[in-house]
Amino acid sequence: MFEHSENVIERIVAHLRRPVQIDPAVDSRVMEEIAGGPTPRVSGPHEAPPAETATRAFQFVVVAPRAARVALVGDFNDWDAARTPMRPSQRGGPVWTAVVPLSPGRYRYAFLVDGSRWLADPAAPAARDDEFGTPSSVVTVGGS
Amino acid sequence: MHLLRTTSTSLLGATLIATAAAAQDQRLDRLDPSVRPLVASVIDSARAAGLPTEPLVQRALEGATKGAPGEVIVGAVQRLVADLGEARSALGPGTTPPELAAGAAALRAGAGPAVLAKLRRARSQTITVPLAVLADLVASGVPVDSAAAAVLALASTTRDADLVEFRRAVERDIALGAPPGMAVSTAASAAYGAQGLQLDAGARQSRPSRP
Amino acid sequence: MAQSLGIHHVGASDGELVRRVRAGDTGAYTALVARYRDRLGRYAVHMLGDREDAEEALQDAFVRGYRSLARCDDPERFGAWLYGILVNRCRTAGARAARRGRLFVRDDAALTRAPLPSPAERAEWDDTVRRALARLAPEYREAFLLKHIEDLEYDEMARLTGAGISALKMRVKRAREQLQLIFREAERV
Repeated sequence: MFEHSENVIERIVAHLRRPVQIDPAVDSRVMEEIAGGPTPRVSGPHEAPPAETATRAFQFVVVAPRAARVALVGDFNDWDAARTPMRPSQRGGPVWTAVVPLSPGRYRYAFLVDGSRWLADPAAPAARDDEFGTPSSVVTVGGS
Repeated sequence: MHLLRTTSTSLLGATLIATAAAAQDQRLDRLDPSVRPLVASVIDSARAAGLPTEPLVQRALEGATKGAPGEVIVGAVQRLVADLGEARSALGPGTTPPELAAGAAALRAGAGPAVLAKLRRARSQTITVPLAVLADLVASGVPVDSAAAAVLALASTTRDADLVEFRRAVERDIALGAPPGMAVSTAASAAYGAQGLQLDAGARQSRPSRP
Repeated sequence: MAQSLGIHHVGASDGELVRRVRAGDTGAYTALVARYRDRLGRYAVHMLGDREDAEEALQDAFVRGYRSLARCDDPERFGAWLYGILVNRCRTAGARAARRGRLFVRDDAALTRAPLPSPAERAEWDDTVRRALARLAPEYREAFLLKHIEDLEYDEMARLTGAGISALKMRVKRAREQLQLIFREAERV
């Protein structure tokens, strides 16, 4: 079938040059991540580039292997587990993220895994003013 | 007598209006029906006293989501009312709700009211972030006095973003094994600039302006 | 020289969009992402051999590009500059995937057992090419794709990869030889 070696290369090249369509959702994921922080993704909430408004977008990241769903709850969303579901990494890996706009202030928050397991953010200060026996973390949003 | 009655009436009126406001907050419907009126009543008293109510609502909702028993939720909200009240006394009138919430956290962490009052005098801008950083440092194991001295020294000249970065540096050093007190003085010196920093509560040298 | 990548645009130039983003118009970056998504994505898909890995590397490259946009010295050459970031991201992703052991079939027997690609059966041909590419060493595959699929000149490739021109020429040559060999083996089975 491949009598001439050069033909093989030509066929491979022609094959590989065909246009590839990438999921256009990449665009929105890029823009969401850009809003989420200026640094490459690690753990903990990251402040977005300076914005004109008082509100800044923060990206929350948690590693939760084997979780089916993870919710971000805190002083910014009425601790409502239905309000801010976190999104798993693209191939269903253990990294979950959510982006939340925050105005200046101090907020306590936690991650709720599968509706029952509480996780604090290991990359953020622990909230010592916790009254309910489960760990919480603190994010502080500056105005200057 | 007449004056007194008028005052009492208007206070009562304010309380009634406040009660109506809290009772109508549908978010509190997530509380157990046996707990909801108690929490609403505590929140109403706080509102009547001019304290911010949103942190109280959030604390109650946190308790509900975490499945805490009713008496624990009521107790937590009551303690927060007390902390907010103490923060306002220390920080003075005109203190914003975010400042009061951060001040309450600093008090709970162990900072004294005098430190809050000094912070207020040390900085003309909002002190939400210095108060929050103070609370976080103490939570990280930094002795209250060291944390207070460092934040006081930095507060007058340091931007919010740099204060948050200062706190991160302290936590990083602690995580790497530095004793908390040493971590805070090292990070404060770095944040303050090359001229060094005396970590006593009165030290407020001028800092070189940022590039 | 965005043209060296064979990319032609209508509408605002790359330089114009980059300047708008730098001035605070974050939304203008969407136009740049949409402009380069498929083109850069093709390289990532062929380089990594896995669509999800490729999209992740691509997304990462766009985000890193945004965050270091201040260091893009020639905004008109944004596309070429972004290519450099993607090439690096693919190297990192490829190394990570190799450590995970979940990418690139290195099972020669599996390839030689594979049925001959039939022009009528594009899926099989697709699979065979993919596995043949996967058998190349990453630096050979990278050089082959940049030269023959992305149509870059050697000086551009040298700039993107940090390798010397003669080394790159050698890699492309070896890649071609190995691909020919792989397909000859397949033919003999």
